[in-house]
Amino acid sequence: MIALDKITLRQGDFELCDVGLELSASEYGVLMGRSGCGKTTLLEAVCGLRNIESGKIILGDRDVTTLPPAERGVGYVPQDRALFPTLPVREQLAFALVLRSLGQAAIADRVGELAELLGLADLLDRMPDRLSGGEAQRVALGRALAHRPSVLCLDEPLAALDEELYGEMCRLLERVHQETGVTILHITHSPSEARRLAGCHFCLADGKVTRNE
Amino acid sequence: MSGTSPNSHRIASDKPFLLGLAVLGGSYLLIIAAMVLADLVYLNYGDRPVLGPERLQQGRYTGGETTVAVEPGRRYFFRRGENEAGLRAGNQTLTRDGSFRADGGTVTLLPRAQEQAAPITASLRPEARVRGIVLSNDVATVTTDVVHGQLWGEFLRVSGADAPGWNGVHEITHTTTNQLSFAVAAGTAAVGSLSLSRPNPLVQALRSRDIRFSIKLSLVSCTLTTLLSLWVAVPIGYVMSRFEFRGKPVIDTLLDIPIVLPPLVVGLSLLILFRYMPEWLSDAVVYKWPAVVLAQFMVACAFAVRTMRVTFDQIPQRFEQVALTLGCNRRQAFWRIIMPQAKGGLLAAGTLAWARALGEFGPILVFAGATRQKTEVLPTSAFLELQAGRTEGMLAVSLIMIAAAVVVFLIARTLGMKRIFA
Repeated sequence: MIALDKITLRQGDFELCDVGLELSASEYGVLMGRSGCGKTTLLEAVCGLRNIESGKIILGDRDVTTLPPAERGVGYVPQDRALFPTLPVREQLAFALVLRSLGQAAIADRVGELAELLGLADLLDRMPDRLSGGEAQRVALGRALAHRPSVLCLDEPLAALDEELYGEMCRLLERVHQETGVTILHITHSPSEARRLAGCHFCLADGKVTRNE
Repeated sequence: MSGTSPNSHRIASDKPFLLGLAVLGGSYLLIIAAMVLADLVYLNYGDRPVLGPERLQQGRYTGGETTVAVEPGRRYFFRRGENEAGLRAGNQTLTRDGSFRADGGTVTLLPRAQEQAAPITASLRPEARVRGIVLSNDVATVTTDVVHGQLWGEFLRVSGADAPGWNGVHEITHTTTNQLSFAVAAGTAAVGSLSLSRPNPLVQALRSRDIRFSIKLSLVSCTLTTLLSLWVAVPIGYVMSRFEFRGKPVIDTLLDIPIVLPPLVVGLSLLILFRYMPEWLSDAVVYKWPAVVLAQFMVACAFAVRTMRVTFDQIPQRFEQVALTLGCNRRQAFWRIIMPQAKGGLLAAGTLAWARALGEFGPILVFAGATRQKTEVLPTSAFLELQAGRTEGMLAVSLIMIAAAVVVFLIARTLGMKRIFA
């Protein structure tokens, strides 16, 4: 689950005050709102990349408010994907696992699993600059899922994809959600995307999050 | 009405614009290329004869052409001055510098027609001939028939000797006005004849112990400076690029001080600073080789810091953020994600620091002195050569520096290419 309790954060002139949000375990939540309303900032706060001034963040059953990002057990897919330019796809997928000192065999198994789930088997030795937009998006998703996080944060994962890829990625996200049972918080502009994917809609406007089922 | 039709829009040719770009950019490139080329071309790579004393008296051209007595059968070297059109010797006329063989007893200096009563500015010197060769204790002493003007420590090229061990370049170990001594290999047999010449300045420079030392010191100190600079520039560049803290603008200004200060002042400031250091430390550094490295480091490092900071600025923070969520701490994110991307910048910073260090002169002169075989680096050598009036020697040292810089840039480029093709 994800629970944000009365979060206040400030960044320059921008301010979010007493924001709350609750998403139960294995739910698919979509957060909508106008550009610049603070969606990404809120997502970064969940991941631990932005300090909050007050409030509490609970992921799963832990209070992670003071934990560094590495210990929160989140998977983060930023809007620009941010694939590591110097690593081939295989190492991107294995990155979180290597950090956790898993054995070679275990890492290879997990990478194989992810490659199958996301259709990356043929791309494992490619460098990121040789991937198309949809492929890069799948790699970013795989990288974020590798360490089996309890929470997956997606920042506009379907933006800048053409129509065909868009449908494909939607199906993939649904499949990932079903097969892994991860709690997903997904940011988007598009109401149709929200209707299609989400079990739970949030709207961020004027510094407040409202829930509409 | 055609003015309003959509097909009537015509644009002016791009040629003037492109031509302008080419002219502006090209003129700078041309100057760079011409500069290096001039150095390469100016140096006369041929050997020079060993010359005797000047044969021309000081004086003026009073009645046009002037005859000078010469020894028949001897070779002379003529250098044309600004008031001469040339020199006539027998039936040949020299209009530029060069040597000739005197057939008759006189040669004629040809003044420029309009220069009545102008001073004589040409030079005419006999080429020294070898009179006798004495070999004792593996030291050869050659007697010349005229005063030779060579100095101890210079080099001679011996040719035309018919026994092994003679031909080649030798260092002069002793001189008198008309004798030259140099060591030959043990057991070398005596010869009856040989001819002497002076090797070109590049060979002289490369054979000279002083300049060999300065090449070595330059290469070692520049490399040391580069490593030290990167060691410092990487952390400073990273901190300045990634973290916000109080006093950052002050630190930013401090980092730029070595760039804006005249290098000479950097050297002086170091010298003054070491007055306040414990004696053992200042004894170990000032006017010794560590001073060379420190003086180079102070300036070169500032450039490396700039380069590394720009490098880190160009790597988006997103990569680290994602790495942090995947389980990295800051150190791991830095080494696994950021440094591999900063390789190109690191190479650029290293090359820049190396090149800066190679050219550093002012601060080294002030802080480390210019002691031969102790704190002499290549720019110091060039300066000492110039001070001794040997322009060609300075040019030779400059060519060595150019070569060193080219080699380092080629290495950096090759490493850079590998990174791109990998």
